[in-house]
Amino acid sequence: MNVLQDSAASRLKSLLPAEAAGWKAEAEDRLYDRDSIFEYIDGAGEVYRAYNFRELLSRRFHRAGAPDIIIDLFDMGSAADAFGVFTHDLEGEDAGLGQGSNYKGGLLTFWRDRYLVSIFAESETSETKAALFALARPVAAAIGRDGATPALLALVPPDFAAGGTVRYLHSPVILNYHFYVGAGNLLGLGPETEAVLAKSADKGRNGVLLAVKYPERAQAAAALARFSKGYLPDAGRAGLVRTEDGKWTSFRLVKGVVAIVFGAPTKAGAAALLNNLAERIK
Amino acid sequence: MSRRSLTRRDFLMAAAVTPIAGAIGCCCTGDGTAGVPSTAPASGGRVASIKSISFASRVVLARDAAAVGEGRKFNGPVIQKMLDDAVATLFGENDAAVAWKKIVGPNDIVGIKTNTWNYLPTGKEVEEAIRTRVLAAGVPADKIAVADQGVLTNPIFKAATVLINARPGRVHYWAGMGSCIKNYIIFAPKPADYHDDACADLAKVWSLPPVKNKTQLNVLVMLTPLFHNIGPRGFSEAYLWPYKGLIVGKDPVAVDATGYRIIQAQRAKHFGEDKPLETSAHHIMLADTRHKLGTSDPNLIEVIKLGWTEDILI
Repeated sequence: MNVLQDSAASRLKSLLPAEAAGWKAEAEDRLYDRDSIFEYIDGAGEVYRAYNFRELLSRRFHRAGAPDIIIDLFDMGSAADAFGVFTHDLEGEDAGLGQGSNYKGGLLTFWRDRYLVSIFAESETSETKAALFALARPVAAAIGRDGATPALLALVPPDFAAGGTVRYLHSPVILNYHFYVGAGNLLGLGPETEAVLAKSADKGRNGVLLAVKYPERAQAAAALARFSKGYLPDAGRAGLVRTEDGKWTSFRLVKGVVAIVFGAPTKAGAAALLNNLAERIK
Repeated sequence: MSRRSLTRRDFLMAAAVTPIAGAIGCCCTGDGTAGVPSTAPASGGRVASIKSISFASRVVLARDAAAVGEGRKFNGPVIQKMLDDAVATLFGENDAAVAWKKIVGPNDIVGIKTNTWNYLPTGKEVEEAIRTRVLAAGVPADKIAVADQGVLTNPIFKAATVLINARPGRVHYWAGMGSCIKNYIIFAPKPADYHDDACADLAKVWSLPPVKNKTQLNVLVMLTPLFHNIGPRGFSEAYLWPYKGLIVGKDPVAVDATGYRIIQAQRAKHFGEDKPLETSAHHIMLADTRHKLGTSDPNLIEVIKLGWTEDILI
């Protein structure tokens, strides 16, 4: 372990408890970086890399006669990316921890500041569930402060997102995971771009809103041209198409942001949503 | 499933996994059963009836209700019988021992590529069932290795004349499916080199010198498959189900495409909707259409079903 790794490990170790609810830390903590993460979680490491992940500290807890519990503490480098990777998996019941959390199937996840915390019981019992929460609370407290959510979220009209889902991402694979836009990378997503994907309640009955912010307006224009040609070649200059299911898909370039509404129930609804979003772009 | 208009997005999604999507019952590709032979399940390992259709690939799906017990404990003798029945049927023999002699012989050096992922490994019962038959076919014990990590430096694998590929079927966060094609990623000096576009070109690994043209049998272990990912490990016991099956074939693409259909069907059953995999398993389709490794179109895959039929899903 070099000096930088040693420093990262010390910082991350200081955020984790040594024991809770009868489970005690055992063996050595393991530290992984962007390259070595594949030694730990195989190809799934790409999900975290897609959010600019820096380091991961993994600590295993043991209690005789009970399933092991593992805390994975991810330093995502920024609160925006900690929020983003958390939004990648929103399934589960709200656990009331950190700045956002959920629990499902023996897995407790929350984010706070630049950290994503995943606490996993190798088998789910009522005891392990209680222990996950007992281990999580001191981690949330040790992180100590909240981080800012991505500014791009402000583009989503609150009434549209209410009861639905809002996700933040950089990667075309992550986008396609949540809303399939097409093979390849029509929108030119990457580490330097930010995207917010919002689905309204009722499984997106009122449509899906995607806004992608590029470093330069020219990049945004080129991406929109590529998207229009590949996805909506019949949209024309108006950037509006009634798709085969009778719904409306529309797009617009506003400064360095490409905004797209997929599957709005009406033409007026698509326009209103884009107008609303455009007004929010400073 | 209700019918609805096919949108361009539907089309693009289907194109991403076609032809394997053809059998998962989505609105744009039919119910997925057209052209797939409905072979009667056979008990006792007898060869099921085979229709006189020209198929590109044959796979055998063998199931037994007793294959998995409480606590996910595998039943070794039952699994041995399932494997024997499947291999005999795959090679059109009544005797598994005869069939195994078509796979390996006394002069072979045999690497059994397993998978040791601690949450859902291939299982020693499956490994031992394969090893037992390889020994019985005349291969000396010191010419057989069972391994996962370290195959590139394992002397048996380095000298292998035959590979046998056995691993569990499960969803995978980045490749969509972790199945037989993906099981050889460890033969790549830098596995991460194959991660682009959700592991689209995993089949390239099958052209690497330690692997190329050596695989004589693929066993996709569907005893307790994983049908949904959560968390960094992509694992929770909550998303395992006791399917109690083995899919066996010479064509890894056909084996994986069949496993994919089963996992998609389980997801539809569990979630109550046609829920796509976390990441497209397009590497299976591309192994066929781009890399010509095998057949992914269910209409060209002969699926022979043996044994237990409850909740068979396909």
